Amino acid sequence: MGRDRIHKITCIFFALFLAGGFLMCVFLPKKSYSEFERRKLAAMPSCTWEQVWSGRFMSDFEKYAVDTFPGRDQLRTWKAMTALYVFGRKDNNGIYGFEGSLSAVEYPMNESSFIRAVERFHAVCEEYLTEENRVYLSVIPDKNCFLAEESGHLAMDYKGLEAWMEQKAEFAEYIPISDLLEKDDYYRTDTHWRQERITDVANRLAEGMGTSLSNDYEAHSLETDFYGVYYGQAALPWKPDQLQYLTNGAIDGCRVYDWQNQMEIPVYNMEAASGRDPYEMFLSGSLSLLTIENPKGEKGKKLIVFRDSFGSSIAPLLISGYEQITLVDIRYIPREHLGRYIDFTGCDVLFLYSTMVLNHSETLR
Amino acid sequence: MLFSSITFLYYFLPVMLALYFIAPGKWKNIVLLMGSLIFYAWGEPKYVFLMVLSILPGYGFGLLIQKHRGKSSGRIYCIVSVLVSLSFLLYFKYADFFLENLNHAAGLKIPLLKLALPIGISFYTFQIISYTVDVYRGEEAQRNPCYLAAYIAMFPQLIAGPIVRYADIAGQLEGRRHSWSMAASGIRRFILGLGKKILLANQLGELCSVFRDSQEKSVLFYWLYAISFVLHIYFDFSGYSDMAIGLGRLLGFQFPENFNYPYISASITEFWRRWHISLGSWFRDYIYIPLGGNRKGRKRQILNILVVWILTGFWHGAAWNFLVWGLLFALLLTVEKFWLLQKLEKSRVLSHIYVMFFVIISFVIFNGENLAQGISDLGGLFGIGGIELVSAEALYCLRSFGFVIIIAGIGATPLIGKVIRHIRKRPLGEKSMQVLELPFLLVLLLIMTAYLVDGSFNPFLYFRF
Repeated sequence: MGRDRIHKITCIFFALFLAGGFLMCVFLPKKSYSEFERRKLAAMPSCTWEQVWSGRFMSDFEKYAVDTFPGRDQLRTWKAMTALYVFGRKDNNGIYGFEGSLSAVEYPMNESSFIRAVERFHAVCEEYLTEENRVYLSVIPDKNCFLAEESGHLAMDYKGLEAWMEQKAEFAEYIPISDLLEKDDYYRTDTHWRQERITDVANRLAEGMGTSLSNDYEAHSLETDFYGVYYGQAALPWKPDQLQYLTNGAIDGCRVYDWQNQMEIPVYNMEAASGRDPYEMFLSGSLSLLTIENPKGEKGKKLIVFRDSFGSSIAPLLISGYEQITLVDIRYIPREHLGRYIDFTGCDVLFLYSTMVLNHSETLR
Repeated sequence: MLFSSITFLYYFLPVMLALYFIAPGKWKNIVLLMGSLIFYAWGEPKYVFLMVLSILPGYGFGLLIQKHRGKSSGRIYCIVSVLVSLSFLLYFKYADFFLENLNHAAGLKIPLLKLALPIGISFYTFQIISYTVDVYRGEEAQRNPCYLAAYIAMFPQLIAGPIVRYADIAGQLEGRRHSWSMAASGIRRFILGLGKKILLANQLGELCSVFRDSQEKSVLFYWLYAISFVLHIYFDFSGYSDMAIGLGRLLGFQFPENFNYPYISASITEFWRRWHISLGSWFRDYIYIPLGGNRKGRKRQILNILVVWILTGFWHGAAWNFLVWGLLFALLLTVEKFWLLQKLEKSRVLSHIYVMFFVIISFVIFNGENLAQGISDLGGLFGIGGIELVSAEALYCLRSFGFVIIIAGIGATPLIGKVIRHIRKRPLGEKSMQVLELPFLLVLLLIMTAYLVDGSFNPFLYFRF
């Protein structure tokens, strides 16, 4: 083939590439939400003189162009694969895969964030609790703590962190749980732990708080595949998880009240199980304040759990040991409002948070 | 607007090229000018008027200088035109630096102007100066203001060079030929430049950013950062220059080369013949030689070198670390000129180590937020301050970015070019390269699009100059 012909073909293909890209960008229909990334995509900004003059139109358009680019999900996968397998990067945007599991590199430990969280917990105790309340604390290690050593990624020194927490949070009795956990206790594609694999953790917490649980669980599997939050972030082709949930007499018999929406909700929300984030099936996901009543529980035995999303899947396992469990997420309800809804008298209090929330505690109010 | 953005690649460029090639001959410069103004306004809607305001005096003075050429008034017009151009640059880029230092030295409290730096002001100001000085030196003045504005504001080289001198491009502005071969070579150059920027520079920049945010500094981490930054700035800037040269060819212009594998240099003198060539030659032709160069004795030559390098340092930014960076090169170049250059020729290996050592040192100072941080980073390289030799984060970054650094290290030498030339000479080599080149370029373009879509790290260093 002559050089001239090669030059012409190069120019024509480049022109077709650009023209095709332009036409697809302009004319293909745009999505407003990405199921893959679980987020709203940027919308076309309004083109007013003020927006243009201030430069906001241009910066917003750049976001819109990137978010709505045709084949975005596939391109993100190619990028992730190029980064990991061509350039040998250890992680892609802070996410990596190892032995079938996806995880985020949660590192380094942000000490000031942990201090802030402990101060928030202490403030709750100071404001609402008396000597009669027994206070407990437990920290849930993130999956990275178990994967990183073998995979060669960075991870927080979890043992050191536990010792640090015990020392700083003198107002609470620390219940260690890390020795009961391993990487397979977490979903492969998600941040969270698997409910069917944490019954021993529930027992340890219950024992630490002076109660016992009935362990007569029956496991149920969901038929739909579960693609967790890391799946979308990693953008790698990965096998989905199977979601399981446990029931027993206590769980079946309890009633859950959602104070945020003023309505009764099921323990396992089957509508959410087939929604955008199936993990939200556990106590309907991110809700600020819930009460679980167990009519068959020991009279007067009440627990208040300050928790993050990990608490949603373990709380049903704890209910057999209590008459009432109140779940509070102080990321969504200000501390000052708690007294309006919760009677702390005679209750045990458990602060149960994952390292991921404690390391980014600016969300705690 | 960045070349390495979805907006440029898939919105601006297709429309711009279509309109440019549809437009008949004389209208091409108008389309180019309009497109360039939109390109600039996309990032700086307010400062587009400043750029036009800077071009207009240049146009007027060009005509006046031509009219009064050979007379003392022509010289005066030339000086005034340079001062007018510099006044914009001084006001927008250096006013706060001088005010801040004046306040500090004299205990005053003059409020700072806090002006945003207009993108590319250093580049287009130097092009305007080059135009009026070239006209003073005998080049024909441009009578069409749109043509002159198209030269100054031409989007491929507007925000990061190369600094194209009017004398080099005057003929092409009036009439240029477009050919398939020139366009194809432009496309290749543009895509490879984009690859240097997105696939290498951005990843190396990410490592520098991780280092800056880290609380776990160690000697290893400082060296990793320093080496990464040296490679980052090269691939960032040379990648952008490649894109500019490629786009220029696509539009029918031949821009000067700006980089020629600077890190293989065996002396600092050679380094500056290979690094930011258009800036180095601008300072040589418009400052060093007019000051007398090496024609007026050794003392004067040293003074001239000093002036040029103080200005080169300040051209890069209004901060003391840029001045120190410039002075370091002034010192090294002076020592080489009068003593070291001959000695360096004796050992190729030692001369390379010497060059890379001082290049690394200089860029560590250059990249400091301020002089204090630059000096502190230098101390970190040598373990000053009792930092550990190795940290877990440094080892992790070494493992994670090691391959990128190796590829970048090899890519900064002519090795890949040599291998390709060698393959082309072999039987079937040329044909197989011809067949593989286009798919390779298109796959590269797709991968780079994927990186842009993922919204990964995408800064551009030379925006601030």
